[in-house]
Amino acid sequence: MGKSLPVFKPLPPADVRRIDQASRQILKRIGIRIKDDAILDKLKKAGAKVDYHNQRVRFEEEWLDELLSRAPSKFTLYSRDEKHNLPLGEGEVHFANGGRVFRIINIADGDYRLTMLKDIAHTATLVDRLEHIRFYVIACQAHDVEPQYYHLNDFCNAFNNTNKHVMGGCDNVEGVRQVWKLASLIAGGEDRLRKKPFFSVITNPISPLTIGPNAAKILSFCAIHGIPVTCASAPIAGATSPVTLAGTLAQMHAEVLAGISITQIFFPGAKVLYGAVPTTMDLRNMEFSMGSSEMGMMSAAAVQLSKLYHLPIRASAGVTESKRPDIQSGVEKSFSNLMVAMAGADCVLLAAGMLDSGNSVSYEQYAIDNEIIGMVYRVLSGIRVNKETLSLDVIEQVGPGGNYIMEEHTVDCMREEFFYPGLSIRYNFDIWEERGHPDMLSRANDMVHNILTEHAEGKDGLLGTDMLREIRKTFPEIKNI
Amino acid sequence: MNDFKALSEAVNKGDNKTALVEVQKSLDAGSSAEEILNKGLITAMNEVGDKFSKGLIFVPQMLRSAKTMQECTNLLQPFFQEGDITSKGKVLIGTVKGDLHDIGKNLVSMMLEGAGFTITDLGVDIPPEKFVEKTKEVKPDIIGLSALLSTTMPAMAQTIEALQKAGLRDQVKIIIGGAPVTEKYAQQINADSYAPDAGSAVNKAKALLGIS
Ligand code: B1M
Repeated sequence: MGKSLPVFKPLPPADVRRIDQASRQILKRIGIRIKDDAILDKLKKAGAKVDYHNQRVRFEEEWLDELLSRAPSKFTLYSRDEKHNLPLGEGEVHFANGGRVFRIINIADGDYRLTMLKDIAHTATLVDRLEHIRFYVIACQAHDVEPQYYHLNDFCNAFNNTNKHVMGGCDNVEGVRQVWKLASLIAGGEDRLRKKPFFSVITNPISPLTIGPNAAKILSFCAIHGIPVTCASAPIAGATSPVTLAGTLAQMHAEVLAGISITQIFFPGAKVLYGAVPTTMDLRNMEFSMGSSEMGMMSAAAVQLSKLYHLPIRASAGVTESKRPDIQSGVEKSFSNLMVAMAGADCVLLAAGMLDSGNSVSYEQYAIDNEIIGMVYRVLSGIRVNKETLSLDVIEQVGPGGNYIMEEHTVDCMREEFFYPGLSIRYNFDIWEERGHPDMLSRANDMVHNILTEHAEGKDGLLGTDMLREIRKTFPEIKNI
Repeated sequence: MNDFKALSEAVNKGDNKTALVEVQKSLDAGSSAEEILNKGLITAMNEVGDKFSKGLIFVPQMLRSAKTMQECTNLLQPFFQEGDITSKGKVLIGTVKGDLHDIGKNLVSMMLEGAGFTITDLGVDIPPEKFVEKTKEVKPDIIGLSALLSTTMPAMAQTIEALQKAGLRDQVKIIIGGAPVTEKYAQQINADSYAPDAGSAVNKAKALLGIS
C-alpha cells in the first residue's frame, strides 16, 4: 500500500533547497531563543554558540549537520498489538486523530459541553475500531481530573481502550514522567518499554523562534528515556510567521531543525519526528484558519523539507473551521488529507475527529473522517497494472455485447480494486426514501452508537483485570479505571 | 488652505514616516493642531474605518493606519491645552498564569491601541500578584485578561480575587476573553465584561468607560 509515494510535490527541488538554505541562515544568524539556562549550559557544552543575555542559541552549519545526522531516518512507533506497529521512513502514510480539544459537540441535540475523561475512553475506543485511523492521539482535555494528574489519567484510559500506538501532547515533564512510569509497568519494565515504546509525546516550540523551558525539558526527558518525541512547530502565517508561504516554511523548518538537533545533544540517535503544523490567518478579519488550502500546501511542502534530511515527519491535515460535520468540513478535510498523504508524510495528525479549528470534536466526525481517510488510502494504493488487471482474457471471453457481472475474474479482483465506503449513500432514490433519507452524518451516528454500545458490553478493558489491579495499586491518582 | 491630502494619504497607507513629516509641515505652515487633528487625521481615519467595514482593506492595513494616527496625535499633544487628547483610557493586559498563548491577546491590544487606548501589555504567563503590582503602578481604567486553555481559566478568577483582596477591584473594569471563555464565565467570576473577538473587545472597552 502506498509504495509509489510521493506523488505530490508542491515545491520543485531547487526551491526546497532555497527554503532550507534560508532556514539555515535563520539558525546561524538570528538563532533560537531557549528560555532555560540549564538547557543553555548543556547546549554550550555540546558546542553551541550561546548568548546568555538574550537566551539565544545560534547554530553553525557544520554543527547543525553533525547533530541532524545523528537522528534516525527510520524507526517504528510500536503498539501493544504488533499488527498495529507503524514503520516510519518506509514510504507508508499513517493517519491519526487530533488532540487536546476542550469542547465536544453532540450531534443528536446540537448541544456542546466541556470534554471529560470518558470522552478519552470513547474516542480511543472509536479509533481502536476504525480501521483507517492507525493510531490514537489523546483527543481532549479531561476536565474532571485534577491538573497534576491529567496526563496519567488520559494515557491510562487510552491504553485501556485501544491497542494502537498512543501519542499525546504534554504540558510539562512531570506529566511525561508519570506516563512513562505507567507505560513501564504495562510493558513489564523500563527496558522493555525502551525497546518497544508504545506511546510518544508531542511538544511545541513557540513561533517565532522560541523554545520554552517546558518544551526543552520534555525533549530532554524523552530523548534520554527512549520515548519518541516531536517538537511540532505551529506557525500562523500572517501572525506568528511571515504572510508568505515560503517565509513561513523557512521559519518553521528552522524551528523544527533546532528542536531535533537539541534532542540529539541529549541522546544521540534519539527517536524524533519532524513536526509540522503550519496554519494561516484570514487577514480580512483576523480569523484563525486551519482548513485553508495553504495549510495543506505548506504541510505537503514540509514533507519535502523533512525528506531533505531523511527525517520521518509528523505532518498535519484534515482540519476545518466548520463547527459541525457539514459541507465545509467535508471539503476542507478531504482537500488537505489528500494533499499531505500524496506528499508522502509518515504520519498525518489532526486528521480525524476535529472541528472548529481544533477546539472541538464530535464522535460522528471520527467515523466520517475514517471514511475520508479510507478514500485517501485507496488513492495512494494506485492503479494496479499487470496481466491479470489488464483483463485481456476476460475481455475476449465476454466479447462484444456481454457483461462482466458473473465472471470469475470479477469475483477474483473486486475486493482489491474498489474502496467500499461504509457511510456514503449509494442507494438509489427510492431506496433512500424508503430508508428514511439517511445521509453520511446519520449513518455515522448509527456507527458510533454501535461501536460504543458494543464496547460498553465488553468487560474490563484491554489492559486486563490483573494489570488494572496492579495499576490501581501503584497509581491511586488514576480515576475510573 | 491646507487640504491635508498628503497627510490623509499617508494615514490611509499607514505610512508613519510621511505622516509625521506632513503633520510637522502643516504645523510649520501655521495650521492649528485642532485643524490637523479634525480635518486631517480624524477624517482620514474615518475613511479607513469606512473602507474596512466595506471589506476593501484588511486588518493589518487598518492597524497600521491606526498606529500612524496614534503617533501623529502624540506629536500634536503638546499643542492642546485641555489635557490628554491622545488616550481614551489606560488598559493593562496580559495572558494569565500558566498560559503562553498570546496571539489573540496581542490582537486585542493592537485594536485597543488603534482605537486610542494606552496599553500596558504584561505578556504571557502572568501570575495574579503581578497584575496586582502593576495595577498599583499603572493605575489602569481597564484590566484585560486572556486565556486560551480551559485549564488556565481558573487563573482569571484568581486574578480577580487577588485584585479584590488588594482593594483594587472597584477602581478598575475587567474584560476577559479567549477561545474557551464565555459570557457566562465572565459573570461567574465577577468580571465586568466578556468579548468574543478583538473588534468587540474595543466596543466593550468603550462601553465600560462610557465613551463612544
Ligand atoms: C482582554 O479581553 C480579551 C478579549 C478577547 C480576547 C482575549 C482577551 N483573548 C482572546 N480574545 C478573543 O479575541 C481574539 C482575536 O479575535 C481571539 O483570540 P484567539 O487566541 O482565540 O484567536 C487567535 C487570533 C488565533 N488563535 C490562536 O492563536 C490559538 C490557536 C491554537 C491552534 C493554538 C496555538 C497557535 C498554540 N498553542 Co495551543 N493552541 C490552541 C489553539 C486552537 C484554537 N483554534 O484556538 C489551543 C488553545 N492550545 C491547546 C493546547 C493543549 C496547547 N497549546 C500549547 C501551545 C501552543 C503553541 C505555542 C504551539 C501556539 C501558541 C503560539 C502563541 N504565540 O500564542 C500548549 C500549552 C502552552 C501553554 N502553557 O500555554 C498546549 C498544552 C500544547 C500541548 N503540548 O498539548 C488546546 C487547548 C485545550 C484546552 N484545554 O483548552 C487548543 C484548543 C489546541 C488543541 N486542540 O490542542 C478571541 O479568543
